[in-house]
Amino acid sequence: MSVLHRNNVAVRGSGEKAMMFAHGFGCDQNMWRLVYPAFEDEYRIVLFDHVGAGKSDLSAYDHDKYADLQGYADDVVEILRELELNDVIFVGHSVSAMIGALASIKAPALFESIVMVGPSPRYIDEGDYKGGFSQSQIEELLDFLDDNHMGWSAAMGPTIMGNPDRPELSEELVNSFCRTDPDIARHFARVTFTSDNRDDLSRVNTRTLVLQCEEDVIAAPHVGQYVHEKLPNSEFALLEATGHCPHLSAPDEVISAMRNFL
Amino acid sequence: MTEDLEDLYERAPCGYVSLDRHARVVKVNTTICTWLDRSAKEILGRPFHEMLSVPSRMFFETHFAPLLRMQGFFHEVAVDLVANNDERLPVLANAMERRDAQGNLLFTRITVFKAAERRRYEREMVEARRAAEKAHAALGKLNNELERRVEETVAERLKLERALQSERKQGDLREQFIAVLGHDLKNPLAAIDSGLRVLSREQLSDRGEQVLSLVGKSTNRMVELIDDVLDFARGRLGEGIPVDRSPPGPLTPVLQQVIEEIASSNPDREIVVKLELSSDVECDRHRLAQMVSNLLGNAVIHGDPERPVRLEAREENGRLVLSVINHGKPIPAEVRKRLFHPFSRGEPGGTHKGLGLGLYIAREIAVAHGGTLRVKSDEMETRFTLRMPLRAPTPRAPSK
Repeated sequence: MSVLHRNNVAVRGSGEKAMMFAHGFGCDQNMWRLVYPAFEDEYRIVLFDHVGAGKSDLSAYDHDKYADLQGYADDVVEILRELELNDVIFVGHSVSAMIGALASIKAPALFESIVMVGPSPRYIDEGDYKGGFSQSQIEELLDFLDDNHMGWSAAMGPTIMGNPDRPELSEELVNSFCRTDPDIARHFARVTFTSDNRDDLSRVNTRTLVLQCEEDVIAAPHVGQYVHEKLPNSEFALLEATGHCPHLSAPDEVISAMRNFL
Repeated sequence: MTEDLEDLYERAPCGYVSLDRHARVVKVNTTICTWLDRSAKEILGRPFHEMLSVPSRMFFETHFAPLLRMQGFFHEVAVDLVANNDERLPVLANAMERRDAQGNLLFTRITVFKAAERRRYEREMVEARRAAEKAHAALGKLNNELERRVEETVAERLKLERALQSERKQGDLREQFIAVLGHDLKNPLAAIDSGLRVLSREQLSDRGEQVLSLVGKSTNRMVELIDDVLDFARGRLGEGIPVDRSPPGPLTPVLQQVIEEIASSNPDREIVVKLELSSDVECDRHRLAQMVSNLLGNAVIHGDPERPVRLEAREENGRLVLSVINHGKPIPAEVRKRLFHPFSRGEPGGTHKGLGLGLYIAREIAVAHGGTLRVKSDEMETRFTLRMPLRAPTPRAPSK
């Protein structure tokens, strides 16, 4: 089975250099709809879904392989090798920021630079380190996923309907935005929110930009600051945007911060 | 009282929240404030996510904020609000964005409905489904286990059967071998026998006469042994003992001859005979004599020497009933069980001579005549009883 089919890889745009976008927990490659078009003229854009998300091949989901983030990082490396791309600009949101970090440690030659949007190396507090959540809060989240998934097909399925005010919502998106298999979502949530990659940060030699929002409930500003301090070669940019998804809520700000960095 | 909009908003049976473009609360109705036991002042100006429990915040940020941004609304999203006393309030929320002509977000409206019952019910459904899946998995495992065990059992049975078949084959071979050997042994014996007859007409010394008589007896004994072995082999080979039913005739003379033979070789034993036979019997006289001789011989050997051995024969509803009785120690149960099996030699350490084929052949003879040979043994007496039809029926399949 081809890697490109497995991860529902889409390549668009032109240019020498490639820019790869990786979505975080809860959605799929559509999260980048408002950002990647700005770079299409200069870069080859590589979009993909993590296995278990979006239109990836769900049958390829293996609980053992994806029991930690390295499984996802291996997929990123595989995709880039399949496409024969080097010196890529990797843009990762949330948990994918760490997935990109792990992939760059494994195969540094593939990455020219990394953009981390709302990264967190560890979500659960430990000693002096404040990830923002207690162990029991994370357990509660996993239970909570069940509640919402109960009405998943009804409330979350093809929930995007044609909306005349939103011409950018194509037909395909209407039926697929952020649909996840409930069991995989729970497992991915567990892997994501129990991960600890603090020790990996010092091994990332790729030049990195940390993009941080105010009032991000998933990854607070001080966590972004922590990532920036631990990375050997990084810049930090605090956005005016609030929340965890500036690429949706403030795409222009994200685009200009990326241009400054590049 | 007329319905007024202010009151409709403030005291609607659902909660209303409005957010600015930074997701801060700019308007909230009394209903929500009452539910959460907070004043509007405490809520206004704060980020919306502060109203939510931690898991709800994370879920909202990762799933529903993007959805809202993409399509401009969402329906029936389950979240938990947090009341003043830290109590969770399960609700379902609908949301809708308002944007200006340039597509800039103006504000977001959220409507909140209490959903404790529904959420509990859904949770139960989830748990029930989990339990069902678990049970299903367990059942599947059990099934596989069962299938595996059935397969093992079948394989074992096949192995056993194959072993049994090869054993049977070997047994068959052995029996065929015995039959052939028996036949081949009879030829030299016949030669010895005729040699002895020639010698008996010669003039011999006393010593010679003695030896000749001994050799003659030994020869007869060997012929009997070989006959037994051959009968056994035939019985085992499924042919049954061959019987040659002569035309009907009286049985009494046959029995008397056997009694005389036994009496002459056991002069000190009393044999009480009671024959009440009026009808002719259709049977193989030689074989019947062989049987009775065997039964009487056994009775003499195993019976109490101080008590008589008895032979009784009578008719009963067209059947011959013939019994040989002795007294003394009863035959132990475990010996009785295999008494009619070939090579059954009574108790270990017994004084019995021979191959242990006598009773087996006796019963085969009874069966060949369409009859039965049974034993009853207690402190009173040991009684072997032959029951068989006086006349040959339509030919019977021999028993194995």
